Amino acid sequence: MINDAPSHTIRLVRLLPAPPEEVFDAWTDPASMKYWMCPGTISETTAQLDVRVGGRFTIVMRGTSGDHVHSGEYREIERPRRLAFTWVSKGTHGRETIVTIELRSRGRDQTELTLTHEGMPDDEATSRHRGGWGDILTKLEAHVTRAGARPEVR
Amino acid sequence: MVEYSGSRLDRVFAALSDPTRRAILSRLRRGPSTVTEIAEPFDVSLTAVSKHVRVLEEAGLLRREIRGREHRCSLQAAPLQQASRWMEEYRVFWEQRLDALEEFLRSRRKGSGGRR
Repeated sequence: MINDAPSHTIRLVRLLPAPPEEVFDAWTDPASMKYWMCPGTISETTAQLDVRVGGRFTIVMRGTSGDHVHSGEYREIERPRRLAFTWVSKGTHGRETIVTIELRSRGRDQTELTLTHEGMPDDEATSRHRGGWGDILTKLEAHVTRAGARPEVR
Repeated sequence: MVEYSGSRLDRVFAALSDPTRRAILSRLRRGPSTVTEIAEPFDVSLTAVSKHVRVLEEAGLLRREIRGREHRCSLQAAPLQQASRWMEEYRVFWEQRLDALEEFLRSRRKGSGGRR
């Protein structure tokens, strides 16, 4: 797992074929979200978004195995540059994680989007980290695999 | 999606947030050690190291065997693997969402001439 972000974060960078305003709006418009917030086995996504700082959102993905609910609260809304919200779901097992979207124009009709998903919502704790744990993680996993140890099954 | 205990993940992340604790885990990769052996290379008191060892133990990252006066510590990597899998699943999730977002934006550009 290659991850040069501070501890406990996922960071992805993409170049998208639209200006920042359009990209931003795709994240805050329920009708748009229906189209793209829709993982493989999901037949339908509905979104209720109260887009204001402190406002809440609920995204329901209906799949063959039932409904997957994702919810959270908007922390920062700076159209078209920055959007940050908490993200809670069964996948985070109720933990409040933080997703941040940063948008930069990269020429006509192109936007560089940086998505950061942090597992530790405490800002102070995250900023204390220097040199992430990605490296130790990789080494430890390799170590355990070589030793033939089996991961716990939960 | 695999289910993980939220509070267990919290403890793992909190345990890993300290560089001394990460160094302790690195040390334990080489094999089990006593607390005294662990403390040797560090410029902090044995008490401080003991505290770190306890945090790691409570996070399930370290197991302690007490034999007489010796506390033998060994690495338990399973929680790390769980935390890493959790993050990997979300990485895949977001990669796919961004693929779909790109597709959505591209199709809108094409359709902006008025036809779908």
